[in-house]
Amino acid sequence: MSGSPSASGARLAVLLAALGLVVAVVAVGALFLGSARVPPGDVLAVLTGRVRGVDQVVVLSLRLPRILAALLAGGALAVAGAGFQALTRNPLAEPSVLGVSSGAAFGVIVAQVFGLGGGLVEAVGIAACAFAGALVAGVAVYAIASRGGGLPVHTLLLAGVIVGIFFSSAITVLISVLDFDRLGGVVHWLLGNLGPIAPASLAVFAALTVVGLWLVVGQARPLNLLALGEESAQQLGVDAERLKRRVFAGAALLTSAVVAFVGPIGFVGLIVPQVIRMLLGPDNRVVIPAAVLGGGAFLLLADTIARNVVAPAELSVGVITAFCGAPFFIYLLRARAPEAGL
Amino acid sequence: MIRLAAVLTLAGLLLPQAATALTVTDQTGRRVVLPGLPARIVSLVPSVTETVFTIGAQDRLVGVTDFCDYPPAARQKPSIGGMISPSLEGIVTLRPDLVVATPAGNRHETFDQLGRLKIPVYLVNPVSVQDVLDLIGRVGRLTDRAEAADRVAAALRERIQAVSARVAGRPRPRVLYVLWPDPLIVPARGALVSELITLAGGDSVTADGGQGYPRYSMEAALARNPEVILIASHDATGSPLVRSKWERFTQVPAVSAGRLHTVDGNLMHRYGPRIVDGLEVLARLIHPEAFDKAAVR
Repeated sequence: MSGSPSASGARLAVLLAALGLVVAVVAVGALFLGSARVPPGDVLAVLTGRVRGVDQVVVLSLRLPRILAALLAGGALAVAGAGFQALTRNPLAEPSVLGVSSGAAFGVIVAQVFGLGGGLVEAVGIAACAFAGALVAGVAVYAIASRGGGLPVHTLLLAGVIVGIFFSSAITVLISVLDFDRLGGVVHWLLGNLGPIAPASLAVFAALTVVGLWLVVGQARPLNLLALGEESAQQLGVDAERLKRRVFAGAALLTSAVVAFVGPIGFVGLIVPQVIRMLLGPDNRVVIPAAVLGGGAFLLLADTIARNVVAPAELSVGVITAFCGAPFFIYLLRARAPEAGL
Repeated sequence: MIRLAAVLTLAGLLLPQAATALTVTDQTGRRVVLPGLPARIVSLVPSVTETVFTIGAQDRLVGVTDFCDYPPAARQKPSIGGMISPSLEGIVTLRPDLVVATPAGNRHETFDQLGRLKIPVYLVNPVSVQDVLDLIGRVGRLTDRAEAADRVAAALRERIQAVSARVAGRPRPRVLYVLWPDPLIVPARGALVSELITLAGGDSVTADGGQGYPRYSMEAALARNPEVILIASHDATGSPLVRSKWERFTQVPAVSAGRLHTVDGNLMHRYGPRIVDGLEVLARLIHPEAFDKAAVR
């Protein structure tokens, strides 16, 4: 938060350009790598429209939508995490810790149980149920944790964990009561499933993510002021209640979009904003935009590993985010935390 | 040696019921001691329930699971709950003299608890077509319906041979079998469905991809250019919706040739007598030319 606005603007531009380059490199790598072993020359030929056939299906219908879905989901989760963290002024807050992911997942499973048409109707319906579940969970956490206008940190985390456990149990109840054949894929979906997403679903996913990002990213400066405390923020002209509602709705929307289309992937919302803060400082005007690109690159890298490491079988992406993310996070915590003041 | 024999003889004298008891070896190689031929059987395995009905031994069946839905009459039997967490109280209340269970679907805790309650547990674990036929014979001997069971097994063998004869010598189309569409789960090495596809004259493109039923890479599956795609229907996936997800891949030979079919998963995934129905369905879809009217004549 230091330096003149233009200098920090230039620094942010350089940073985002660098992150954009990382995203591009990972995305190109992901496009060329896969268990189908399409030779690089053929991938280029497909991209220039010179090759049809199964290679075209693999590159354009399977890998490309999956890359886009991973970038969207990673960015959405990281921004949702950064948003919840700024909102609650708590570095541990993130969609799964706050129970919001579990609420959204419960909504998705209820939608699947009742079956919702197909195609676009299904995509929108599942996303709507996920959002409803996320809102119910989030509002419940707030209602439980708020005390006389304040939001004590430990109560908030406890409330989030309890609400999360409640919805996880509700999911378990549904899975136990219902025919396994009906919900056979749920176990895999609960670990995160970046499958071959259909174009209609990808479009809905992208639209919801853009709306969610718009709700949160634009509020970076007021969120910085909120970090000084609600009263100070009010004195500096921030409508704290309105800001909290807006960021909360945005973060819940991002979480529910991810849960609806690729499943509740843990860890990204926690680790990505933390890593960015450790490396670049706590300014939300840097953290939040960097989280969009950094989260996308991290999840895409994890998914590329997940679909190649045991080919032709596949792992769940959630396994890789935790397996690779946890050691890296611990390293950063030990090496950088004293400087970052954590 | 002599002393050992003496001890064994003594043990035999001290345990008079051992003389009338029936000792059998179950399908997993465990020795099971029964007081006599079981008259009150609880089946924790849907395919065993089907087998019991098929050989006409249902009078001895006093309890089934919630998943035992075939034949329809099986639903009339008292249920003891699901396969993973059956009600022990429910089982005990039925006063069974034998519980048939499987390590692939039930839990070890269940067997152990039943063992402590002195209820004999007979384990079955069919993994191949031969095992399914063997299982029919075993259920027949346990229920004093050995002849009926042998007849059923012989008839199934004949039908399997008839399919083999029809598809013999024909080129083997590459088959992609979709057990679950999203995430893609397929039959691989050692899976019964892989064996059925081979018997039906097809070449499963996922047969090398790990053990049993792994989660599989969609692009690896499609890159092998399947000529026939078979999607198992479950309640939620038999709809045209799932088909439409695949129909957009028009560059895949199976899709362009219109050889994208839905098959009844209950016929293929249960290790009971109906797998032969499943085999016949597969063979007709993989080799329709072998079953048209000209070929019948």
